[in-house]
Amino acid sequence: MPEGGPRRVVITGVSSHWGAELARRLERDPSIEYVGGIDSRPPSTELGRTDFIEADLRSAVLSRLLPATRADTVVHCGILLYPEPGRPPPALHEINVIGTLQLLAACERTETLERVVVRGSAAIYGCEGAVPYLYTEDLARRMPLRTRFQRDISELEEYFANFARRHPELVGCMLRFQPEIGPGLDSPLVRYLTLPVVPTQLGFDPRLQLLHADDATGALEAATRGSVRGAVNVAPSGSISLSKALRLLRRPAAPIPHPLFGPALERLGRRLGAGALYGDGVRLLRYGRGVDNRRLREEVGFTPRFDATGAVRDFAERSESRRVLPSVHPGTIAERLAGAGR
Amino acid sequence: MPGPEALADFLRDVRGGVEAGLDPLLAAQQAAETLPKQLRDAVEMVALRLRGEYHEDEWGFDEQFAEAVFPLFEFLYEFWWRVETEGATYVPAHGRALLVANHAGSLFPFDATMMTMALMKEHPLPRWPRFLVLDWAFVLPFLSTFMRRVGGVPASPHNAQRLLEANQVVMVFPEGVKGTGKPFSERYRLQRFGRGGFVEVALRTGAPIVPVAVVGSEEIYPKLGESRALARATGAPFVPITPTFPWLGLLGLVPLPSRWRIEFCEPISLAEHPPEAAEDRRLVFDISEQVRETIQEKLYENLVRRGSVFL
Repeated sequence: MPEGGPRRVVITGVSSHWGAELARRLERDPSIEYVGGIDSRPPSTELGRTDFIEADLRSAVLSRLLPATRADTVVHCGILLYPEPGRPPPALHEINVIGTLQLLAACERTETLERVVVRGSAAIYGCEGAVPYLYTEDLARRMPLRTRFQRDISELEEYFANFARRHPELVGCMLRFQPEIGPGLDSPLVRYLTLPVVPTQLGFDPRLQLLHADDATGALEAATRGSVRGAVNVAPSGSISLSKALRLLRRPAAPIPHPLFGPALERLGRRLGAGALYGDGVRLLRYGRGVDNRRLREEVGFTPRFDATGAVRDFAERSESRRVLPSVHPGTIAERLAGAGR
Repeated sequence: MPGPEALADFLRDVRGGVEAGLDPLLAAQQAAETLPKQLRDAVEMVALRLRGEYHEDEWGFDEQFAEAVFPLFEFLYEFWWRVETEGATYVPAHGRALLVANHAGSLFPFDATMMTMALMKEHPLPRWPRFLVLDWAFVLPFLSTFMRRVGGVPASPHNAQRLLEANQVVMVFPEGVKGTGKPFSERYRLQRFGRGGFVEVALRTGAPIVPVAVVGSEEIYPKLGESRALARATGAPFVPITPTFPWLGLLGLVPLPSRWRIEFCEPISLAEHPPEAAEDRRLVFDISEQVRETIQEKLYENLVRRGSVFL
């Protein structure tokens, strides 16, 4: 068991939003003497004392670089949940599965290592109509793995579980994140929720757990400092239905019969610059998904500041001023008409 | 009803509020203060709902929505099926309880909704019960959303256990599809009670079991046959053929006005058994059989007391 908190931390995928956020928080802590960041491209925002190491996670060079940092903690933020510019869908499998395998191989060579934290996804539970309404950690893989992304996540979790079994002296923590929202985020789901008119699936009103961006970083930091083994769900308490979320966000919904939803969203998304939803996004917006966050609260010791409704409320308040496209909510329209008549 | 002047005043006030820079819904809410109370409450509620200011619990149960559809089911309860309820007070007023009932009504089982009505209307301290619903219903558009908002939850032992741990009243129908799918000729003959999963959950959570006998639900859609082809095409567990469905199209969905009786029986306390007793198959089967026999007995009793089916 590691004694005390982490001292030398290496963050892989440090150029991603979450990697950079974590690095920034750890930099501020004087008890952490070294923060290293590995990614294949430099971070988009300036980091402080983080030592940036340019390397591709998929290459074997990692097995040389990582031991040299004498890290006691590795935080893997390099798992991509959706394609990004320069990282098309076919590359995702490579980056997520092969990248994680290479990283774990490098971890085996690092003798100073005490803990490994992986920023995974709750997508492993899938999105089904009829299921446990709040998944606990032991209920993964009960349902068929339907999408490529889900299979990738399941595969890398399996590798990670095997790795943790082979190295009982290490603390291995797999975090399963629900989708995050925040005004500063540029994810397909956030772009979807801020469309001027939001297409929904006729007759379906999924239960969602949208995680506040601050809580997402907070949970990642808490897990990095803690020593909890195994899988941990990261989600707000409670859940919110999509229809209620859209009302709080003052976005009118445009119900579309569900077989047409995917293609319609893709077309609309391209025109408005929102992009298509990736992976199980369409299924998430049909059936939703809820997970139980008891382990996060009681064992990791991190209670999200916002519950599911609170996160959406805060997002609505803070993105109000950032609205680029005119809103077409009945409330706002009436406001405008009244203003014009004056 | 308020006169046209009151409405005109109201609209003028809304406009005034909007011009003063208020959110239109907020303006409507303020203007509503001059309206009669009943209308005022209605306007306020619509405004709040449109702004997303209402409560949903972690299961997606929406109490305001459930109250809004209450009158429709009240009509069915009072006038269509003329339900007579007995023993509602056997359902504990506080804490967890597992209500176990027979299941019938091939096309659309109304027994859960009528039991809800019985509790809400006849119990001195009413509270909304939750009910476990066949999984298949939760992949359907509209129906899944509706069920969830009024307290339906996909049938899964995990869900049942969590609800009971949160001290809810949970209704289960252990016969499942075997109960709703049996032909009319076998009405009121209880089918096998699954594998006794409901007993395991009750033992694990220490919830008392309240057996419930529902008479009348079998006659609302008498199942004369079934269509295999339609069931295959829709993925449904079965598609019944009744005297009116599918011959009359949507009109065939109107249930027949049978007379109903609902009897809540004395609770079976499982407090003497520790939670580990859930692993004891023999005990689970014995309790399951005891509940089944109680319900069967009460069904025959209430059938006699009901007398004529429709009048």
